Amino acid sequence: MNKIILSVLGQDQPGIVAAVARILFEKNCNIENVSQTILQTEFAGIFIVSMPEDLAIEDLRASLNSELGPMNLHAHIERLAEQAAVFASRESEPFVITTKGPDRKGLVAGISEVIAGYGVNITNLQAVFKGGDDPGDNIMIYEVDVPTDIDQQDLHNDLRQKAESLNLVISIQHRNIFEAINRI
Amino acid sequence: MLSDREIISTLEMLESEHLDVRTVTLGINLLDCASHDLEKLKNKIYTRITHYADHLVSVCDRIGRKYGIPVVNKRISVSPIAVVGACLSSSQLVDVAKTLNSIAEDVNVDFIGGFSALVEKGIARGDRALIEALPHALAATERVCASINVASTRAGINMDAVLLMGETIKQAAGLTSEKDGIACAKLCVFANIPQDIPFMAGAYLGIGETDAVINVGVSGPGVVKKAIDRAIDANPDLDLGQISELIKKTAYKVTRVGELIGRDVAQSLNIRFGVVDLSLAPTPHVGDSVGEIFQSLGLLSIGVPGTTAALALLNDAVKKGGAFASSRVGGLSGAFIPVSEDLNISESARNGYLSLEKLEAITSVCSVGLDMVAIPGDTSADTIAAIIADEMAIGVINNKTTAARLIPVPGKTIGDSAYFGGLLGESTIIPVNNGQDSNRFIRHGGLIPAPIRSLTN
Repeated sequence: MNKIILSVLGQDQPGIVAAVARILFEKNCNIENVSQTILQTEFAGIFIVSMPEDLAIEDLRASLNSELGPMNLHAHIERLAEQAAVFASRESEPFVITTKGPDRKGLVAGISEVIAGYGVNITNLQAVFKGGDDPGDNIMIYEVDVPTDIDQQDLHNDLRQKAESLNLVISIQHRNIFEAINRI
Repeated sequence: MLSDREIISTLEMLESEHLDVRTVTLGINLLDCASHDLEKLKNKIYTRITHYADHLVSVCDRIGRKYGIPVVNKRISVSPIAVVGACLSSSQLVDVAKTLNSIAEDVNVDFIGGFSALVEKGIARGDRALIEALPHALAATERVCASINVASTRAGINMDAVLLMGETIKQAAGLTSEKDGIACAKLCVFANIPQDIPFMAGAYLGIGETDAVINVGVSGPGVVKKAIDRAIDANPDLDLGQISELIKKTAYKVTRVGELIGRDVAQSLNIRFGVVDLSLAPTPHVGDSVGEIFQSLGLLSIGVPGTTAALALLNDAVKKGGAFASSRVGGLSGAFIPVSEDLNISESARNGYLSLEKLEAITSVCSVGLDMVAIPGDTSADTIAAIIADEMAIGVINNKTTAARLIPVPGKTIGDSAYFGGLLGESTIIPVNNGQDSNRFIRHGGLIPAPIRSLTN
């Protein structure tokens, strides 16, 4: 079995997943993982798919393009390496970094630069910038894995410093607190 | 993946609703520190407490930072000193109190509780020495808290001890007259005292407890108030059953915070986790008040008719939500109504909505009792004892904890203000019936027998 990763982008509308899944089924492919999200009006879906040996990627690409093109959707396919080179995972703890503050350019770049500098991996990111000065309307939520072997105090200090320079209020909390409070 | 709603609502509880862990209290067993040699005993106590508590504050601060939720107070409770120092004299016990105070300073905790005696059925030699030591011990120290259990549902009420406490409270107030009798703010008289209270002034480590244990007191009156406000704003027609459900859910969230942080602290210190005390504990800050909850529920002020029913609803809902959230619940677990420590309750007393009699009535449905109540300095020892006896009777008959923390403020009278400072707050002095007279009933002494447990009307 060959594995591929397929991404589909375009304006959101009913029937996108159905169309993609039907084509894959007709080509005798199996969907292993799928995740979709909608940002404002735009749909994005990622599929990890195993496909039969006798199917060429070009064939699948042609089918997807011909069926999805009229829906104004774009598909992109790549082969997954047998043993995908995973970045060296370190022992880590899950934290949630939240910032609030007025929108301006460079907020995500500024915060994520600090995060990356410590080898911290972002596992989920949600950010909404509606503009205006209401801090509640301009929020970034980073779920991250913080390696246990880095100096957490330094990370916290650097993040706070960066947030201050960007006029953001930041909080950095272990993920467990949100699960404890909100989930049974 | 967490939802943004989960994250934002949690942040709101922290940022604008005063969600915190009110206290992490490290209980330390001192029973085997007993010695007839005072110096030896003091050394053993010092070594024992510092061994366990050296890292308490730094660990609590680190874990508070990890979760973004402050542990406001770090405290220590110890075995009843009347037992540990049973063979000491009262002046030697004052010395022990001073030692406890300096240990508290050394390990940087704001209070150490357990200068205590359990005398519900009789006063032993060591108990009497400790009670005699109380006025000087509390006047000479700032961080030592004392509690005396004078009654229980199984033993009845020890009226000799009640009278003794009336006199002791007067003396303690007199020795700290320049500070509005602040020694009395560190002294609680109890019926049915639990062995694992993390809150002061009643915290001590019970005789049946292990070597060391972490007990946690959660807070959250501001969170409960805001939740009620939001829900009533959204739907003014909410009925009380729905409001009770809302309080339950909110208490659940608050308790989970305490449980998570308490367990993490206990694990980091390699000490057993004890209980979460589900009390709503106010501070003298706007937005961190139990009294304000009554106004959110629609009452003019705490103290007006309807208060007892509202508190019954609140207390019960807090317990139900908390009990589900925690696997180990204990301590007092209810709503506190400390008059001076709650800005709104203190204001109600000043405005005349809240009398001593109404306070006593509502203690029949909440956990604590007449807490931080400032009364005229010329109130007689007999009357103070009689107020205590009434409060103990409510606890004994209803099989619940009650307590009295009364401050007869020297040189001040009805309507004057008493200032205790910090978390202890300030309060208007409220009137006491029959305040200056003797009381023949109290002076009969003896034991009021334990109540019958059937025919419960």
